[in-house]
Amino acid sequence: MTRECALLLPRVFAALADPRQPGSDDTCLEKLLDWFRNLTAFDPTVKLLQDNPCLTEFITAVLALPEPSPSILSFTLRLAGILAASENRFQHLQQEKLLVRLFGRDGPLNSAVWEDASVRSGWVEGVHSMMHHQPALHFLCNGGGIDVIFALQGDPSLFVASAASQLLVHMLTLSVESETTKPLSTKDCDWPACAQMIIKHIEDSLQSSSPSHIEQSLKLLTSLFGNCHATWTEVLWLGISKQIESFLMEETVQAQHMLANLLLKMAWSPVFCDTEGSFWALVTSALEHLTPIQAGPLAVGILRLYKCPQDVRIQALTVLLQPMDCILRAASQPLEYAGLLDESVSDPITVESLLSSRSSCASLLCQTLAHLEELLSLIHLPVDLPYTSLLRSLMTILQFCNGFLSPASPLGSTISQILINCFRVQRSALDVLAALSERKGCDTLMGSLFDVLLAYLESPNTSPTVLKKTFQATSKWLVRLQELSCSNNQRQQTEKILKDVFLVLQKHLCSPCWEVRDSSLEFLTVLIECLRDQDEFRQSLLSSEVPRLTENLLEDPESYVRASAVTAVGHLAFITYFAPESPVIGNQYNKESTVAKLQEILSTDSEGFPRRAVISIFTKWLRQGCTGQLEDTEQFVSKVIQTVEHDLDWEVRLGGLELVEVFCSQTICQLGLPKCPYAPVSSAVTSSIHQNESLQIFCRAKLFSFLFQSLCDCDKPVGQRACDILLGLRGDFYPISTLKDSQGTGDSPVGHGIAWLQRTLRQGSLAQNFPTDGGNGVDFQNPESMMLALGTVDLEELHDELNKSSDHVEKSPQSLLQDILATVGTIEENEADCY
Amino acid sequence: MPEIKVTPLGAGQDVGRSCILVSIAGKNVMLDCGMHMGYNDDRRFPDFSYITQNGRLTDFLDCVIISHFHLDHCGALPYFSEMVGYDGPIYMTHPTKAICPILLEDYRKITVDKKGETNFFTSQMIKDCMKKVVAVHLHQTVQVDEELEIKAYYAGHVLGAAMFQIKAGCESVVYTGDYNMTPDRHLGAAWIDKCRPDLLISESTYATTIRDSKRCRERDFLKKVHETVERGGKVLIPVFALGRAQELCILLETFWERMNLKAPIYFSTGLTEKANHYYKLFITWTNQKIRKTFVQRNMFEFKHIKAFDRAFADNPGPMVVFATPGMLHAGQSLQIFRKWAGNEKNMVIMPGYCVQGTVGHKILSGQRKLEMEGRQILEVKMQVEYMSFSAHADAKGIMQLIRQAEPRNVLLVHGEAKKMEFLKQKIEQEFHVNCYMPANGETTTIFTNPSIPVDISLGLLKRETAIGLLPDVKKPKLMHGTLIMKDNSFRLVSPEQALKELGLAEHQLRFTCRVHIQDPRKEHETVLRVYNHLKGVLKDYSVQHLPDGSITVESILIQATAHSEDQGTKVLLVSWTYQDEELGSYLTSLLKKGLPQST
Repeated sequence: MTRECALLLPRVFAALADPRQPGSDDTCLEKLLDWFRNLTAFDPTVKLLQDNPCLTEFITAVLALPEPSPSILSFTLRLAGILAASENRFQHLQQEKLLVRLFGRDGPLNSAVWEDASVRSGWVEGVHSMMHHQPALHFLCNGGGIDVIFALQGDPSLFVASAASQLLVHMLTLSVESETTKPLSTKDCDWPACAQMIIKHIEDSLQSSSPSHIEQSLKLLTSLFGNCHATWTEVLWLGISKQIESFLMEETVQAQHMLANLLLKMAWSPVFCDTEGSFWALVTSALEHLTPIQAGPLAVGILRLYKCPQDVRIQALTVLLQPMDCILRAASQPLEYAGLLDESVSDPITVESLLSSRSSCASLLCQTLAHLEELLSLIHLPVDLPYTSLLRSLMTILQFCNGFLSPASPLGSTISQILINCFRVQRSALDVLAALSERKGCDTLMGSLFDVLLAYLESPNTSPTVLKKTFQATSKWLVRLQELSCSNNQRQQTEKILKDVFLVLQKHLCSPCWEVRDSSLEFLTVLIECLRDQDEFRQSLLSSEVPRLTENLLEDPESYVRASAVTAVGHLAFITYFAPESPVIGNQYNKESTVAKLQEILSTDSEGFPRRAVISIFTKWLRQGCTGQLEDTEQFVSKVIQTVEHDLDWEVRLGGLELVEVFCSQTICQLGLPKCPYAPVSSAVTSSIHQNESLQIFCRAKLFSFLFQSLCDCDKPVGQRACDILLGLRGDFYPISTLKDSQGTGDSPVGHGIAWLQRTLRQGSLAQNFPTDGGNGVDFQNPESMMLALGTVDLEELHDELNKSSDHVEKSPQSLLQDILATVGTIEENEADCY
Repeated sequence: MPEIKVTPLGAGQDVGRSCILVSIAGKNVMLDCGMHMGYNDDRRFPDFSYITQNGRLTDFLDCVIISHFHLDHCGALPYFSEMVGYDGPIYMTHPTKAICPILLEDYRKITVDKKGETNFFTSQMIKDCMKKVVAVHLHQTVQVDEELEIKAYYAGHVLGAAMFQIKAGCESVVYTGDYNMTPDRHLGAAWIDKCRPDLLISESTYATTIRDSKRCRERDFLKKVHETVERGGKVLIPVFALGRAQELCILLETFWERMNLKAPIYFSTGLTEKANHYYKLFITWTNQKIRKTFVQRNMFEFKHIKAFDRAFADNPGPMVVFATPGMLHAGQSLQIFRKWAGNEKNMVIMPGYCVQGTVGHKILSGQRKLEMEGRQILEVKMQVEYMSFSAHADAKGIMQLIRQAEPRNVLLVHGEAKKMEFLKQKIEQEFHVNCYMPANGETTTIFTNPSIPVDISLGLLKRETAIGLLPDVKKPKLMHGTLIMKDNSFRLVSPEQALKELGLAEHQLRFTCRVHIQDPRKEHETVLRVYNHLKGVLKDYSVQHLPDGSITVESILIQATAHSEDQGTKVLLVSWTYQDEELGSYLTSLLKKGLPQST
């Protein structure tokens, strides 16, 4: 703690304990606690308490208040807990019986203020913070505090109940791990006193007839087995496993979700997953007995495990695939293709009844689909899924949803009626469809798959959110289609599909709904990024109306759409005039007009998104070497930075700096300065010539005025980036050995200007506007002057200065203490005045 | 009994970040998804892990509704939809959908500027989130799914702010969001029809305040600005891109015009131009005066207010500048503040809330020597003023809304516990309804008395009207029939029809009762006395004396026997069917009184 803070602290705590003062802002109290947490984390000594007696005085003062405010009392409980986290400070506080008075029977827990949830929450948090040593454990267990925690598990406040449960887990672990003298075993199970109390409570609750008590204990166990993977957890489990098992069979206990969750946490714990027999038998039984909705999360969790008995895995797979199998069977009876499951392993009655009910059909399908997506997103899937049948089932669901399939079977007809226009299911199915594109084995269905996707793309009933997902799935499958087309000569099919896709895309680019136009443009950009090297793709795209319509959208009324259009047009350029062998280059693709159009957007668009998109596309072009020869590029960059340096949007200015950075490294690389790893080794003389040349280029392009001005930008990230670039340039132009010699500006006029520059920047970059007139004789286009500036201006110091975040004052404890003190005595109505 | 459950994750007894979970008729709705600007870590967002312990959020929540564009109501939305993973429907009004991304972008910039900021959304995420939003019109009933519908009402407060009615089955909840019951310079007053919801969830920011008129505050503001400009000083007004800025612009523009003032007024960012554009676009959402004036002159096309260039800050002479951000913690507003702070002729007016640690907070709490970056000390000599223009309903307004909507229960959020307590009592006293004020994380359960629609068969209806009076709207009428509950529907039909439909046989149920009367005569004489007595009393009914010695009154049968032990006592056995329950009990009570002496 700094001296300044130590001086402020007594006044702050005196103010906090003063009931006449208005309550302090809650965020201040929270931040104060954060600070004490940091202060005490690595120092277990009592020095903090001894040096700052105001802390104990504060606790005493609050305890003496007849009616302390709930927020101050809660703060005091939490503070005391943080302070008592080390044994030494715990004993120190106990000398004055402060902890007993705060957390014991005669403390707040038996007063009227206990009604306030924030006080109970403060109590639990306080106890949790101090619970790091045995004296704290004994203090709580011997003083009856543990019963309070048991009771708080059922608190009306979700926050308090959850915190109490977490606290019990923490105490149980601490007790077993710090107080056990010999390893625990089922035969000789000698739990330490505190652990025993908690375990007995768990056992009693599980045997009670109260559903809420059972739920509380299941929650506690779930959290315990999820967080603690010590071997003693198995000993605990063996004592209660029979009881838990009975819950699975009893319909009366409505805690199936929690049971599934508990078993899942256990399956993931190394303590249980290695065991043979009983645990896995219980899991299998759970997968059989729970409803598909309850068992789904358990099943997917099991399938993610690498180590798991095969029969359990099959059972889990059955749970997940059964709804998909039912869909297939409902759609065509008798089944024309292979189903997903062997009929012998599955009993579809429950799933069929869930699917045929309006209230459960969509939920079951959405959940199953989400689980399948989760599995498919894993790179290494521990199980093999029947991809073809899965795809068929997905297509069936999608066709049920858009009314393209209404099967004759009673079940199929019921499901299709329920699912028609169900956006939730459509979205989930399309997500799985996209994920499935990464898996091999679905190629035979490509034709019918695109029929389904195109039906979605073409339908006016498709909602914008569903359309976006359809685009995502389509782009993934188009990439897959192209890969196949290359390998097995399916050109015609590919061309037909691409033609259809672009036809429907044309329509969506003209949609009255901006979300649709935007998603369409994003889809186009993704396609170009992935497929721009494919001839069929390029030809289909360029022979469609899509490029023209995309350019039209540069003038869209919605700024998001204009920005996406800029990005799409920028990408289109890669396959038109920037392509090495462009297939169709007609008059309509005029490079100059596109560049001019984008530059116009950069300089005139009233909103930030399109301008940001332009600068980002320009940088992308530059990176990919599309802007032509060095001289063209120089003019291009110069023009762009003159436009962006006055932009109101800081991200556009930042984008401009990124462009400058790419340009600098490319120029230096092309001129063969040593920075480029592939450049031929040049002699000192040629190196110096190239150095001059690049410096002249940078001066001509007016890079330096932009860079130095950016150091004074009112938005800090811009200054930081500019400083980084200047430091990089200095490294290029000044080998480290020569830097010192160049320090000092001398008496020349150039030197005076640079000295002024140095002073201006030193005064605090953010405090000043950089003079627009070029400032006191500094010639930013003069290579000699700029060379001197690079060598002279203390860029490191500036770098450090700028790297201090703008909230470093906000974050400082001293500022916090000052703010708390400053608000004392002022009546703060402002807080409620949020807006 | 059906119930509505409400759990605030934010705005429960505080004014931080609104996020309220409502369960109604098996549907789960999240009302608002706000952010607390006072924190830089995860504490700024509501703890969404409490929404559901089982399963995915998207499966659990049926929809999210955003009341208006302020960040304490929508700031966590992109985080919730793009990072936490909610993929279901989101509803807000058209102006809110248009303006929300501006404020989210504005705030995103602030966080990017700070060090160590993680877990914050990107521009792309804001856009992706907005693309999922379904925009709604005022008074348009939107069907979320077959059972759940929502409807927006005008809330005043800010452009596009709405109150939402949520209906599922026959239960309904109204959530007010933030609202204002008095029209102000650019917005109208909140309005809702007499929808009698089961529950009204109301904000209560100014639960105990009767606010002075906004006109006074506006006059005060203009006076201060005018005085400063007159003495050649500069006025800085730090604002967020949208909201209060526009309101103050209209105020200054009109004043400058009226007073013919020449000092320039500047707006510092391009963002605000877009904001003004939206105010023009959504002119129908503003108040009547603005709409009327719009025909002659668009109030948002400012003559005196010009775009600001950074160099102007150094110009001599008076000026007024609106600059972002509103809490003076970074960017342009802070840069201008540094330049002008040292001159006592200048003034800074803070029109909104500032979080702890910001320069705005410091100067508002009276600190005059500020440590800036690089340990420089900035001495603040300029005048510092705080002006509240926030547009919330005061205690009077809240009561007025309750009177208007006539809810069966009220639940208060978005206010301080102490103030809520006071208002709660007042509401309970005046309206005789229950009022709740749960803290964050606490669940309030409200039991509802739903009216369940029942179809009635035409036959039964005809039969009932034939025997009774004609139906009267104002008088409830008791109707007998058999209720068939099948396929989620209720139908009232005649018992015969029910038996037929359900394929059941009819069983007769008879009630019996023994009445002892003192009569020493023979049994047949007692029967005769009873017959005569009943014949005299029940003139409208068919009373018969049967040959077997028993008496019938409609379906009621009366037989008399002598008491086995006491011949002076006769036992009358009365039995009747369920249909004649009323008459049966009347008759037994009549007989219990005994027979008249004269006969």
